[in-house]
Amino acid sequence: METIEIGKYTKSFGLSFAITSFISALLVILKETNEDTVLKGMAAITGHHWITHGLFDIILFAVLGLAFSKFHSGRGLQISTNALIGSIVGSVIISGLLIAGFYA
Amino acid sequence: MENILLLLHPVFGGLATLAALWVFVDTLNAGESSVARIRNVSLFVAILMWLTYFLGGYFYIVYYGVDKAFIKGGPWAFGHNFFMEVKEHVFLMLLLLATYLPIAASGYLPSNKPVRKVILWVTGLIVPTSLAMEGSGAIISVAVKIALLLKMKGI
Repeated sequence: METIEIGKYTKSFGLSFAITSFISALLVILKETNEDTVLKGMAAITGHHWITHGLFDIILFAVLGLAFSKFHSGRGLQISTNALIGSIVGSVIISGLLIAGFYA
Repeated sequence: MENILLLLHPVFGGLATLAALWVFVDTLNAGESSVARIRNVSLFVAILMWLTYFLGGYFYIVYYGVDKAFIKGGPWAFGHNFFMEVKEHVFLMLLLLATYLPIAASGYLPSNKPVRKVILWVTGLIVPTSLAMEGSGAIISVAVKIALLLKMKGI
């Protein structure tokens, strides 16, 4: 029987999204609780902390996604569909709650 | 200029939400004939979300400072302190999710149930998150309006 799998980029960038989203939420808390150092430093890089934050997220997403796709001699990550979906959904919920909870 | 930007930002966001809903429904009833459409509309979701990001981001960086001062000095300060702060950061997550959608859809075939499942979950997350962004934008706009009305009345 043929096993139908999801493609390596779907897996790689899916997990990359989950990790990036979570790190981005942590970065929100880090920069807001360290205004004189982290927030100012991020603002100094591009002129505004939010631009730097966005660039950081986009670069991390791309780099992690491409790196994961190189795993296992170029065959990409070995992860089940349910684990991938779980990581994406879990990351959206946890990241959203972290951000909303921080500003509440 | 700034009013046009302020109008186009939620327009593109709304269109991206509708396009994501299209992909969700099309994927639920997918067949051979819908493969190209699902891939194309998924790409369209990402393009629209990036346009929303650039337009909203430009407004936020260049013009929002004045609105922010009014909101923070008005009775609906939570319009900035909570809704704008959450919106500007959750949106970054939404942008990546929308960028991921065409990547996931590129491997889609009707016989590939796992990819179908991924697309359904991703669009199923994009739609409510986008609607929350639209709602937050509305609250922020009302917060500015209330602050300006009170200022005009001299209260």
